[in-house]
Amino acid sequence: MPSVAPHLPWDELIEPGRVHGSLYTDPDIYAAELERIWYRTWVFVGHVSEVPEPNDYVLKSIGPQPVIMSRDRQGEIHLLLNRCTHRANLVCDAPKGNSSAFRCPYHGWTFSNTGKLLGYPFNSGYDGTALKAELGLGRVPRVAQYQGFVFGSFAEEGPTLEEHLGAATDAFDRLVRLSPTGEVELTAGWLQHKCKANWKMLLENETDGYHPQFVHSSIFSVASSGIGDLYGDKSTAVCRDLGNGHTENDLRPEFRRMDQPLGWFGTKPEKVPDYVAQLEAKLGAETAREVLVDGSPHVMVFPNLFIAEIQLFVIQPTAVDETVQHVTAVQYKGAPDMNRRMLQQTIGSVGPAGFLLADDSEMYERNQRGVQARSPEWLTIRRGMHREREDADGFTVGDATDEVPQRAIWKHYRSLMGGAA
Amino acid sequence: MARGGRSGVGELSSEFASVHVSIDLEGNGPRLRVEDLRTGQVGFLDPLELETLAWLPEGALHRFLDPSLHRWRAES
Repeated sequence: MPSVAPHLPWDELIEPGRVHGSLYTDPDIYAAELERIWYRTWVFVGHVSEVPEPNDYVLKSIGPQPVIMSRDRQGEIHLLLNRCTHRANLVCDAPKGNSSAFRCPYHGWTFSNTGKLLGYPFNSGYDGTALKAELGLGRVPRVAQYQGFVFGSFAEEGPTLEEHLGAATDAFDRLVRLSPTGEVELTAGWLQHKCKANWKMLLENETDGYHPQFVHSSIFSVASSGIGDLYGDKSTAVCRDLGNGHTENDLRPEFRRMDQPLGWFGTKPEKVPDYVAQLEAKLGAETAREVLVDGSPHVMVFPNLFIAEIQLFVIQPTAVDETVQHVTAVQYKGAPDMNRRMLQQTIGSVGPAGFLLADDSEMYERNQRGVQARSPEWLTIRRGMHREREDADGFTVGDATDEVPQRAIWKHYRSLMGGAA
Repeated sequence: MARGGRSGVGELSSEFASVHVSIDLEGNGPRLRVEDLRTGQVGFLDPLELETLAWLPEGALHRFLDPSLHRWRAES
């Protein structure tokens, strides 16, 4: 493993109430992050519904690493590195397909979809077939799933996925509970938005409850949405540190106060009667109503999966100042009427002509340009420090617009990068 | 089924290969005709061979996917 900039004084760059600007711009820090975060901790890669059939595969990533997620004939899911073991060409190029084997287009080396090298042309040039045993595709050593979400870790050993997710498992449980079959599907396709900003600008923004009334005022206005008001000074919503860098904007106190099923989604049960009937049949009318009032989670799962109620964002750093955000609509398995609406809303907010992500992306790129300025050297994340408190479950929470999530992210970041916990 | 001709089945393509498969009726019994659209190479599979394929265990065909086995065989 490459050495990781040991000279960087993490404890001096990250303080409880402020972080140093170089954390967003320094190529050495970015290289260290790849090694200590992206190539060590659990990273979200894809969902089982993206490879539903035996021999299906899709192209994915872990940061800049190109990954093939394949399902073999027995149903097991593999995360293989998309690099021919001969001269490093990409073995697969199509975004998805179905094949039990992959043939590199450069010299014809052929691999099974489990990574085994099946052979190469004109093998006398290698004095036989001995190389076959040692030159299988690289693989992500640990693969694990939670509620159908597939994660990979480049660390051979370390915390299990469930240990890493910790309290964030509740976000996945809440998400699938809204599905009448108890399963979600990521089958709507992925949009990719590239922006010239460091990946942590995005990570911190996803659970920043301070910006929506400013950055997103236009979409709230056009859509006649009341969501913006939930991120105000009078809101009873809270932001929460879920541990391990996972953070949340919990709007349930407001939704419960309003007590309107599907109010979080800006609609009413009579607009999606089939879906509501299915959910009531599964959970019972009373529980279904509670679930429909509470709505879907708004949780940033460190480091790269943002569960944003009806859509998912996946953060992929590609350079110190460049990030690709992959976006898809959540689809509940077996709920076509609700799925249609979730897809429409996703297109409206994050599609090519959508307002929401375009607004955020503008902020990310402005942030990246602004942080180049020499003075001040620090970014302030002190908002709400004086009113942090513990909730009934022992988690640190703050008011809706406070910066508890940003402080939580940096605290975990520092522990991973080698600073004092 | 009438003797002669071919009934089209269709074209299958991936990023690795493109083939056209059809049912060939030129012989005394039907065969599956597989044409490699990138080279024009044609192969046939009779019903018993196809049934055997359906029963192959995982990975049994992979032996034949070694490029050196037939198509790009070393000369020695």
